[in-house]
Parts: sequence; structure tokens; C-alpha cells
Amino acid sequence: MFKSLLLAGAAIAAALPAAAASGDRVQITGEVIDSWCYYSGVMGGPDAVTGTAHHTCALWCAAGGIPVGILTEEGKIYMVLKWKDHDKVGDGKTILSVQSHQLVADGLHYERDGIDYILVEDIVADNGIPLRNHEDYGFVPPFAEPKQ
Amino acid sequence: MKKLAMLLMMSAIASPALSEDGEGPYSANSQAKSWSLFGEEKARFEARVTDALCELTGDCPDDCGGGERPMVVMRKDDNKMLIVNKGGAPNFTGANYRLSEYCGQDVEVDGLLVGDPDLTPGIGAKVYQVQLIRATGSDEWVKTNLYTKQWAKKYPEAKGKGPWFKRDPNVKAEIAKTGYFGIGLEADKKWLEENAE
Repeated sequence: MFKSLLLAGAAIAAALPAAAASGDRVQITGEVIDSWCYYSGVMGGPDAVTGTAHHTCALWCAAGGIPVGILTEEGKIYMVLKWKDHDKVGDGKTILSVQSHQLVADGLHYERDGIDYILVEDIVADNGIPLRNHEDYGFVPPFAEPKQ
Repeated sequence: MKKLAMLLMMSAIASPALSEDGEGPYSANSQAKSWSLFGEEKARFEARVTDALCELTGDCPDDCGGGERPMVVMRKDDNKMLIVNKGGAPNFTGANYRLSEYCGQDVEVDGLLVGDPDLTPGIGAKVYQVQLIRATGSDEWVKTNLYTKQWAKKYPEAKGKGPWFKRDPNVKAEIAKTGYFGIGLEADKKWLEENAE
């Protein structure tokens, strides 16, 4: 009987998410980025996949449900899992308007297995897109350039 | 200038750091296709599918957000949580819709672990590109290419020629407001005039 109870308890525990942590409150400053292009190098090195040069591609990826990150001035990436009251941040529209923007964001920070996550609660400041790297890189990828 | 950008891209893609063998501890029997990405390792393993917000906070809808939350796979071997950053289709799409079909289920996945801190400082762990998935016990692999079908259902008015991302109404609305560089329509115009061929 006792063994059965133990087994049942273990089975239930295995089926549930790990004990939910409360997260640490943080304020971060960084650029909203397309995390796939940044991590993978599929479009080139990190300097080419941020800022104005990569803005259209960042829109495409965010619209396509690819996780959005915030790249801080210290070089840390926070994957965005919540945006104010929106928990469906992969809906292809919630985080579009701030792609490539430098933000100051308040929220809850979680770390798991080497990846940092943030549940953004408030945007303290939106500094637009300070990184004007299109002068160096043009459009990344080149087919983001509009047809004339 | 455009040529410079292309050269930089190509040199990055061909950098020696990428000439690893692409093998890792989970590469055995992988059928994943190489994309020649930073730190790429083929990786096939058993996992449980859930969404990241659920796993971290306990906020767990039955459908894992129905394809609109970032998804993770919990590797059976070591209970490591791997964020799924990309599906298998080369069209700017994630794998959230396909993975949400397996919400809470045990599966086998095949794809690429991606990322290299030497090339991209600041990253703390590799992320996962899932190319194939199947429920545990199933013989049939399923491609992670569901996004465009779901998108077409969501935006029937956007039907037309060309790739989905150039017809997406939300993307088009943003570009109409702030331009392709995101800093105003004048900046686009100026650059295009200066770089006309």
C-alpha cells in the first residue's frame, strides 16, 4: 500500500513542471532581438543581426513565432516569455512594434540550464533604434530590400 | 556596400570555427540536416514537450498556448530544459504550432543544437532547432513545418503570391509606419537613392 502511494506520488511529480520559482525582479537595458539569427549565425555575425540593418528580418522572425530576446549592454540575452499582460508572446504581433528598439524593461527573471528568461512587466523607457548599422551592412538579409 | 555586407555574411558562415564535425553526445542516429550554423550539433533524444512559461512559473494551459507561447523540450536523460528557437523550414518560422500538438506528451525529437559563445559572446547554452518530432512509440516522424498553414488560416485576407513574411499584415503595418530600417520612411528612401544600382 505504502509502495503504491509512493509510486503514484512519483508518477504525479514527474508529470508536473518543476516546482515553480518566483523569479527575481530585474530592470534591464537592451535591444529587442531576433534570438535565432543572433544564436545561429545564419545571417552572419552578431554585429550584422542587430540594429537597423536587421530590422525587417527581426520583424519577420517575430511574426513567425521565433522567440524574441533582449540583448543587454553587458551581452546577456533574456528570452521574453511574457509582455505586460500578454502570455502569448509568440502570436506574431505582440512584440512587433519594438523590434530592434533599445528598451529599459522591468520584469521577473528566471534562469534555467544556462538560458535567461524574462517576464516583462513594464517598459520604463523606449529609446527607439539607436544602432544605425544599415550604413555598414545595408539590408540583412539582402532580399529584405524593397523592390523599387 | 551591399557586396561588403554579403562578404561579411559569407565569411562568417565559412569561418573556421564552424568546421567542427557537428557531432555531440546526442548525435547518434540523427537524421537532422546540417544548416552550417554556429556551434551546430545534431541531436536526437527523448523529451517531454511543454511551454517555457509553464515550466518556469506553473502557469500551464492545457494546449501550451496553442502555438503562441515559446516552447521547450525537457530532455529525458538529464531533465535539461531546451528552448526551441526554430522549426525545420527555412522561412523565418518557429516550431510552436507543431510542438503544441504534443503538449505534455513524451516524444522523440531530432534537430540541431545551436550556438557558440566564442562566436556570439553572452550566450549561456545552446538552443534547439527541432526538425522532426514523433510521439513516443510512433514510427512516423513529423516535420515541424506547420506554421505557414496556421498563418494562412489566421490571415485569409493575406492570400497571394510570394512568401508569407512579405504578405503578413502585422509586418506590413509596422513597415508602413517606420520603414524597413525601423527609423522612418525617409531613412529608407535616402539609403535606396544612395545605393541605387
